[in-house]
Amino acid sequence: MKTKSDFPSINERTPDGQNIGGSAFKVLVVDDSMFVTKQIGQILTSEGFEVVGTAGDGLEGVEKYKELYPNVDLVTMDITMPRMDGVSALEKIIEFDKDAKVVMISALGKQDLVKKALLIGAKNYIVKPLDRKKVLERVISVLK
Amino acid sequence: MRVEYINPFVEAAYNIMTEVLQADVERKDLYLKKTTQPVMGVAALVGLAGDVEGRVLIDMSQDTAIKIASTMNGEKLTGLDELAKASITELANMITAQAVTKLFDLGFKFDLTPPSIITGENMSVSNANVEALIVPLEMPQGLVEINVAIRERA
Repeated sequence: MKTKSDFPSINERTPDGQNIGGSAFKVLVVDDSMFVTKQIGQILTSEGFEVVGTAGDGLEGVEKYKELYPNVDLVTMDITMPRMDGVSALEKIIEFDKDAKVVMISALGKQDLVKKALLIGAKNYIVKPLDRKKVLERVISVLK
Repeated sequence: MRVEYINPFVEAAYNIMTEVLQADVERKDLYLKKTTQPVMGVAALVGLAGDVEGRVLIDMSQDTAIKIASTMNGEKLTGLDELAKASITELANMITAQAVTKLFDLGFKFDLTPPSIITGENMSVSNANVEALIVPLEMPQGLVEINVAIRERA
């Protein structure tokens, strides 16, 4: 006889950070601010995403992406960073993997750079200050 | 110095702090200082150069900085460590980005330096030939002063 536990509860939902199979979406966070990296990490992991790598500038971000590929589903990319900015890093990542899913993180007033990034192939963007709802909405829209 | 230079910074600081700290922020009266001014203990410094030149200081005591950083991180920080400094830097980044957008809309064009965090006791700041306008903002974490010294480039 089937017991109650044999049936999945209709109230259980898959966290947004996991695919239908139940495995976590893997995210690379590229940002020169320790605060923003931590903030994005906390928001994403609380919803079941897995942060598989972080990088403090664009150059390191491109290297990390190549190192992690294909085990990375999404990149969050700051725009203003030392050594290599986020738009140049995006360009390098798209050159390497034309299907890369990159979400730009921007301060207000960088609309021209955001437009450029979207033309190059960024899938979405988030304007700071970041909040949980805004980050999850944008990230999930890119993955689903 | 023209008041129109400071207003975008005060408005931006008010907006960002209200949103990020989820707190009531009260704007106190603006005052002008022509001479050397003391700095409270932790200051985020952003330089401007272009049609206008000068600097913006977001100034607070160390205790206030730690409390603000704690609120931003959702955890109690015990000192002004790297995470606390990164949090105050990010706060300054967000404030200047919003203020500069407003000033660009008003037709001013200039570049900004990334924020530097200056910490220490008994510090003061002097500006040659330009007075500073200061607007104190009071919030539950303490007092933050937006201190702007900008002049049009000759």
